[in-house]
Amino acid sequence: MGELGLVCSNIRVTYPEFSLHLDLAVNKGELVSIIGPSGCGKSTTLQLITGLLPCETGTIMLHGVDITHMPVWERNIGMVFQDYALFPHVNVAKNIAYSLKLKKIPKKEQIERVRHLLDLVGLQGFEKRRIADLSGGERQRVALARALASEPQLLLLDEPLSALDAKMRKRLRQQIRHIHETTGITTIYVTHDQEEALTLSDRILVMQQGSMEQFATPEEIYNHPSTLYAAKFMGEGTLLPHALIPKILVSIDKGPDTVVFRSSGESRQVFFRPERVIVHDNPALAFPEFLPHLRFSDARVLSCEYQGGRYLITCDWNGHEILAYSRYRPKHTKVTLGVRVNDLVEYVEGLVAR
Amino acid sequence: MRTERRVTHRSGTIFDTSRFYRMLSTPAMLLLTFLFIVPLLITLSKAFISTEGTLSFGRIFEMMRDPYTQRILRFTLFQALISTIVSLAIGIPGAYLLVTYSFRGKHIIRAISMIPFVLPSILVVLGFVIFYGNNGILNSVLKQVFNLSEPPIRLLYTFTAVILAHAFYNFPIALGLISSFWEQLPQRYNQAAMTLGAKKWTVFRTITLPRIIPAILSASTLIFLFCFSSFAILLVLGGGPKFTTIEVEIYRRARMSLDIEGAAALSLLSIFVTITLVAIHLWLQRLMIRQEDVEQIQEQRLERKPHTIFGKFIVGAYVIFSIFFVLGPLAGIVYRSFQIPVSRSGDLAFSFDAYRQLFGFKQAPGSFLSIAGSALVTSITIAAITAAISLIIGTMLGARLRTRDKQGNSSLELYAMLPMAVSSVIVGLGYYIITSTLSGGDTLGRTLVILAHVVITTPFVLRSIVPEYRKIPISYSQASLTLGATVSQTFWHVELPLLRPALITGAAFAFALSMGEINATLVLADASIVTVPIIMYRLIGSYNFAGACALGTILIACCAIVFLTTESLRRSHNG
Repeated sequence: MGELGLVCSNIRVTYPEFSLHLDLAVNKGELVSIIGPSGCGKSTTLQLITGLLPCETGTIMLHGVDITHMPVWERNIGMVFQDYALFPHVNVAKNIAYSLKLKKIPKKEQIERVRHLLDLVGLQGFEKRRIADLSGGERQRVALARALASEPQLLLLDEPLSALDAKMRKRLRQQIRHIHETTGITTIYVTHDQEEALTLSDRILVMQQGSMEQFATPEEIYNHPSTLYAAKFMGEGTLLPHALIPKILVSIDKGPDTVVFRSSGESRQVFFRPERVIVHDNPALAFPEFLPHLRFSDARVLSCEYQGGRYLITCDWNGHEILAYSRYRPKHTKVTLGVRVNDLVEYVEGLVAR
Repeated sequence: MRTERRVTHRSGTIFDTSRFYRMLSTPAMLLLTFLFIVPLLITLSKAFISTEGTLSFGRIFEMMRDPYTQRILRFTLFQALISTIVSLAIGIPGAYLLVTYSFRGKHIIRAISMIPFVLPSILVVLGFVIFYGNNGILNSVLKQVFNLSEPPIRLLYTFTAVILAHAFYNFPIALGLISSFWEQLPQRYNQAAMTLGAKKWTVFRTITLPRIIPAILSASTLIFLFCFSSFAILLVLGGGPKFTTIEVEIYRRARMSLDIEGAAALSLLSIFVTITLVAIHLWLQRLMIRQEDVEQIQEQRLERKPHTIFGKFIVGAYVIFSIFFVLGPLAGIVYRSFQIPVSRSGDLAFSFDAYRQLFGFKQAPGSFLSIAGSALVTSITIAAITAAISLIIGTMLGARLRTRDKQGNSSLELYAMLPMAVSSVIVGLGYYIITSTLSGGDTLGRTLVILAHVVITTPFVLRSIVPEYRKIPISYSQASLTLGATVSQTFWHVELPLLRPALITGAAFAFALSMGEINATLVLADASIVTVPIIMYRLIGSYNFAGACALGTILIACCAIVFLTTESLRRSHNG
C-alpha cells in the first residue's frame, strides 16, 4: 500500500429515489476507474469529491487534509467534464490559463505554462484557436490541459472519451495513461466502457445503484468478480446452476473427488468466461486436458459470430446457454465443450463463495 | 432518460446553496415590487373608496351595473376578437408558406415578423394616417391612377381602421409564433401517416392541424391581450366616444374628467381580464412544451420551391402583400417627412422644412416642433436610463431564474413577468396618482416616467435574458468553480460574457420600448414633460403631419438600429 491520496469515509447522500454510499481509499498517484451503468452514482461521486454537491455525512480527506466542508474553488481538484465545458467565448490559451489568472500568476509564467501543457497533450501551437474550430478529440485534450493547469492534487475525468469515435478513443486512452504516468497525479476516471476501465486503471470500482460492488485490480475484477453483478457487467460469461456439476465433472485421476463441489444448495451457481471454454467439434477426439474439468457433450451450436481473430459461439446444452470463444468455425452443429474446474467462479445468492 | 434528468437536477445544488444569487436577486425583486406593486395597489385601492370617502365595494358594483361600462367592455372584447381573427387569417397562411416552401423573400417575411416587437404604437398610428388617410398616399395614388376627384378609401376614424391597425401590429406575432412552432414539429409523423395511406389533405387535417392548434391558441391569446389593452391606436384612429375601449376610458376619466376613482375601478376590471388572458396563455404554452417534450432531435426540414404556377403566384402575392402592408406605412412616414403643404387644398412640395424646424434652424410660430429638439434629448435620456436600470434588474433576476425547477422559482418568474399582464395605461395611472400627491419639478416628473418605463420594459429584458441564461450548460459554471473561481467570479468571468448578446438585445429592446412608449407617459406626465411620442401625438392632433413624420422618421431610424443590432446578433450567435 502506498501513501493515501483520497479517502472518502462513510459518505452518504439520499434522494427520494436514489441513495449513495461511498467508502473509498485511493492511493497517491493511483489511477482508479469508476464503472457502472448510467444512474449508478458515478457522476454524483465526482460531484461530491469536487464539492459541487454537499455531503450529508462522512468525511473526505485529500492528501491528509479534511476537505469535506471546503468550498469547490479552494479544493484544487482538476476536473474534465463529459461535455468538456470549454468556455466558448475565449480561445484555447485563455481557457487553459483561466485558473492561473485567478491565482494571479505573472503573465509571462502563464504563457510558459500554457505552452508546456499544450506540449503535454500534443497540441503545440493551438494557443489562439477558437473553441468552436476544434474537433472533439482536440477539445478533450484542451479540457485535460485546462484541468491540469493549476497542478491539482487530484484529477477527475467524467466519461471524457464517450463523445468520440472508437479510433480516437483508443488513441486518447493511451495518451491519458501516458500523461498520468508523467505527472503522477492521483486520478479518478469515470466510464461506462469496461474495456476502457480494464486497460487504463490501476484499480477499478464497480458501482451499482449508489453502492460499491467491488474495488480491485482489473485482473481481479475480470477473473474473480466478487459479485455476479460485477461479473456480468465486466464482460460476457456463462452462468449455470451448481447442481449440474457432479454429473459432468471429469476427474482425470479417478481418485476421491477433492474438488469443492460436495455441498450443493439451491442458490449456488457457477460462472465462467467464454475464453476459458475449450471447443471441440469432433467428439471422437480426446480432450487435451489433464486437469479436472466440466465436459458438455453434444452442445448444439445456436450461433457463431466472427469477431475478427476469433469466433463467439453460443451453444445450447440441455436447455442451458453457454458462450465460448473458438479459433475455428465449428464444422458440425454439435460440439463438445470443456471448462477447467479452476476457471469456475462460484456464487451463492449473487456473492462469490470463498 | 429519467435518471439522466435526475442527475442534472442534482447537479444544480451548489447554485441553490450559493448565497451569491440570492444576494443578486433579492434587491432586484424588492425594487420591482416597490416600483410595480406599490403604485398598482395605490391605484386599485382608490376603487374601493366610495364618494363619501369610506371603504366600500359600492363603486365597483355600481360601475359593473352601469350600461355605459358594459357597452365599453363589450366593445373592447369585440374589437379584440375581430382583430385577433383578422391577424390569424393573415398570419396562418404566411406560416404555412414559410414552413412548406423555400422562396426568395422568405427572410424578409421572417424579418417582418420581428418588427412589431420594436415598433412604437404611435408610429403605427401615424403610418396609418399617412398611408390610408383621406389625403393619404394610397388615396392620392388611386386618385391619380383612376382619375378620381374624391378619395376612394375612407378608412380613418372607422372600426375598420382600428382592426386594420391591430392586424398590422399583430399578424406578425401569429406568423412568427406559429411558424417557429410548426417548423420544430418532426416530419416523420406526417411521413408515417402517408405510409399508412393518408392523402396530403388528410395528413394536414388529422396530424398537422391538431398539433399546431396549441400554437394557434397561444398566439390568439397573446394577440387578444395586446388588442384588449391597445391604447394609442384606439385613441387616435378610433377617434371618438363611439370606439372607446376600457384603456381609453381609463385615460379619459383620469386626465379629462378627473375621476380617479372611476379610472381605478375600470383598471380593476381591466386587470381581471388581462390576468385571465395571461394565465390562459401560460397554460397553453406549457401545453405546447409538454406535447413536444420528447422531441430532442433536430431534423433538417425538406423545403421545396413552389412548383405550380398557382403556388408561385400565392407565394409571390404573399411576399408583396406583407412588404406592402408592413413597410408601406413606414415608408410613407419617411416620404411625407420631406413634404410640406404649400396651399390650402393640400398640395404638397418637397422640402427639408420639417427637419429644419425640428433641429431649431427655423422658427415657426405656434408649432410644437420648436420644442421637438429638446423632446428628442428628453426621450433619449429617459430611454438610456430606463434601459440601464431594467438591464441591471433583469440580469440580477435572470441569474436566479436560471435553474428552472428550483423550488419557488416558477412563481418568482411569474411574479417578475406580472407587469406584462397589467396594461401600461394602468402602470401610468399609478404613477399619475403618486405625482398628484407629490409636488416637485421636472426632475421628479422625469424620474417617475423613467420608473414607469422600467416597470414596463423589465419583463421584456428578462424574457431576452432568461432563455439564454438557461442555454448556458451548468457544466461551464461547474468547470469554472473547480478551476478555482468563486461563484461571483464565475458570474463575472464566465456567465456574463456568454450572455453578452442577450444583454445587448435586452438593453436595445428596453431602449426602443422606452423611446416609443406613449401609453403610460401620456397618462402620467404633465404638460412640462415632453417625449418624442407625446409631441408626435400632439402634432397629429394639430394636423402637422410633416413635423410628425420628421420625428417619426427619427424614431424609425432608432428602432431600425435596435432591430438590426438584435438581428445581426441573433444571426452571428446562431451561425
